Amino acid sequence: MSTLGYLLIGFFLPLFPFSIGFNALLTRVTNLPLRLILLLAWPQIGLLLLAQTDGAPPAWIVTWAMATSLLYSLRLLAVRELGRWIAFLATAAWGLLWLLPAAQAALHALWFSLPLLLLALLTASLERRFGGAYTGIYQGLAQAMPRFSAVLVITVLAAVATPPAPTFFSMLSAFLNATPGLMSGLVAVWLLWTWAAARLLQGLIVGPGTCEAAVDLERAGAWTYTAALLTLVVGGAVFSGGVA
Amino acid sequence: MDKLILLLPAVPLASALLILLTAGTRTVVARISIGAATLTFLLTAILLGISLGGAETRVFALFGERTAGSLMFDPLSSLMALVIAGISLIVHVYSVRYMAEESGYARFFTLLDLMTAALLVMVAAADLLTLLVAWHLIGVLLYFLLGQDTRSQSAYRYGFWTLITYRIGDLPLVIAAVLLYQAFGTWSLAAIFDGIALNPHIQTYFGLPLAEVVAALIALAAFARSAQFLLHTWLPYTMEGPTPVSALMHAGIVNAGGFLINRFAAIYVHTGGVLHWIFVVGLVTAIIGSVLMLTQNDVKKSLGYSTMGQMGFMIMECGVGAFSLAIYHLIAHGVFKGTLFLSAGTVIGEARQNDGVPKDDLYTFVVQRRPARSRQPWLLMAAITLAVPIVVLVLAHWLVAEDFFQKQGAVVLLFFGWVTGAQLLFSTYRMQSENPLRLIALIIFSFTVVVLGYTMISHVFDVFLYPDEQFRASIYAAAGIDLRWFDALVGIMSVVIVVGWLRAYYAERNAGVKRPGPVWLNLYALFSREFYIVDLYSRLTRALLSVAERLNVWLRWV
Repeated sequence: MSTLGYLLIGFFLPLFPFSIGFNALLTRVTNLPLRLILLLAWPQIGLLLLAQTDGAPPAWIVTWAMATSLLYSLRLLAVRELGRWIAFLATAAWGLLWLLPAAQAALHALWFSLPLLLLALLTASLERRFGGAYTGIYQGLAQAMPRFSAVLVITVLAAVATPPAPTFFSMLSAFLNATPGLMSGLVAVWLLWTWAAARLLQGLIVGPGTCEAAVDLERAGAWTYTAALLTLVVGGAVFSGGVA
Repeated sequence: MDKLILLLPAVPLASALLILLTAGTRTVVARISIGAATLTFLLTAILLGISLGGAETRVFALFGERTAGSLMFDPLSSLMALVIAGISLIVHVYSVRYMAEESGYARFFTLLDLMTAALLVMVAAADLLTLLVAWHLIGVLLYFLLGQDTRSQSAYRYGFWTLITYRIGDLPLVIAAVLLYQAFGTWSLAAIFDGIALNPHIQTYFGLPLAEVVAALIALAAFARSAQFLLHTWLPYTMEGPTPVSALMHAGIVNAGGFLINRFAAIYVHTGGVLHWIFVVGLVTAIIGSVLMLTQNDVKKSLGYSTMGQMGFMIMECGVGAFSLAIYHLIAHGVFKGTLFLSAGTVIGEARQNDGVPKDDLYTFVVQRRPARSRQPWLLMAAITLAVPIVVLVLAHWLVAEDFFQKQGAVVLLFFGWVTGAQLLFSTYRMQSENPLRLIALIIFSFTVVVLGYTMISHVFDVFLYPDEQFRASIYAAAGIDLRWFDALVGIMSVVIVVGWLRAYYAERNAGVKRPGPVWLNLYALFSREFYIVDLYSRLTRALLSVAERLNVWLRWV
């Protein structure tokens, strides 16, 4: 495939600066269903286009994708708005799809997208309650909304490849297909995700609880999220648990 | 019966699930959790009994050969499972009342049960995927246990130090697992160990020997988990969590490094340089941990550094090839440190009523710092100090293994025993006592009992964990260095120790009032500021966050 073709794919399987397109789009779209569709479909379009190419992508593209992933992982550290946090993490995660073998990439894209989908739902829920979803402005969600906080914590952990979430197996798969240089990039990316997740959770759930008036997630809602996360874990174990 | 190992993680997992589903009162939560912890402990006791009876190693795959989820029944897993279940049960029972007035009671016990399950899976994991899942989860669960008080920002801040250090250690283990998979095409530990035994010189990227590279990566993972120097800052600072969590952490979790090295003994036996490196890191950690422990004026931090020093010694034991001794050490340290943490509250409470310190020789020496008015002849005491410990140590070791002097690692550890014993006797020289000879006799007797006990038990551990005598010898051989160099080092160390103690006695005899010089004061400042390592890490962290912020501003947040 021509360089131009790869650059086109770079819009969907993010390559900086083409990644700016997706990030600008996601942060401007306020319609929730549309946001969810974007999170689910965007990398799949890229993978469909990539499937039209003959053979594996050239090494320079893979290195570029790794650098993009690193850039957005680093930038993730300083993001306080949950919607943007999702966009940056999606960019960083989908960049890694360039490393994965074509046969499994669609499944791994799904594993990366699904926790972000749940996170987008939770973000919308926070925005409905408080008018915005920023860290630091309503510290202490764990005190005021324990059920919501529990679901949020587990979803964020699933998004940043914490086992037994399927994203963990996707990361392992990326390691298996990486050269030593790319492996060190993956190490840095994973480390930055953990750091960013801890900063996000610390800014949202930890604190004296200054928003007591907030209404917590209903029991049924919490169980629905739990069921979705459990399905994700079981699905990941069944389809990707044997990482190869 | 050995299939019971499958139940080990299942019981605490079921307990965690039951607590979540029932959402019962505190009494119900405590009953469910302690019931499960007791059952788990009983199961581990049965399993250890079976293992002691000579049962063979077996692997049970839960979801088939290709997926994660296989557990191994072998001496190491059965012994470690008993230790974990025992400490977990004690922590559970202690927490029932300790946490009674805290919020998040059910959450705490759920996390405690999940942590127990993760630890049990870690020690019984029969494949690399299961091991990785459990290894990662422990760090995450510990982060939330340390942050049990969700109102406390500082608890989470220091909990984060633990999480990120653990993640720094998790990732080398991931790379090691990947390299092993790429070489042997399987995640199964048994198959990998067989593969490496058949082809120990197999190479990986850049033509590097696979065994050495993997062993070094596993050692890095162990260093982070066991708070080795430069990866240690999380340990003395994570005291904001509840006391039972501190006990669990210092008595159990931090010891995982020693376990990990033992689990991969079949790989370390084909290495050499890595074990020397492990020895050096352990030695440096033991020394720095002990020095920082002595120079801290914060009791909790001091305890943290004490654990760091002990972990250094444990890792060092691995470095000299005394793998099973490291397991014995981690169990002994776990019991001792767990007791210290769990009884701290009672001690403080009692001390408020009565200091409870007997006004005996030890009190006048340690607390009142009154040295003896009359002393024994210094040369005689120096001779006793140097001769007695070495005689006791050599006899004790000779009793359990006649070929003791063939093992370089054992000889290295002997030096530490010698120095420790000598230090003990040196104290008597400075103590005020009506009957100094009786005091010396008692100390020598105690020292002999401790050394005999330590030697015998460690020998039993050696035979139980590594029944193959040839394999035991191979580990020591892998850790060995060239004999001429070793003999030269032994000679130099012996001279240093003998001259050092003679000088110490001589200086003590002629001791006068002398102000410490500027070098000592600067050194003390360096120790008390913990070598500025925490400051350095904080500065690096702030710099990285600042770069991230600037990048976001330049790129308009898209």
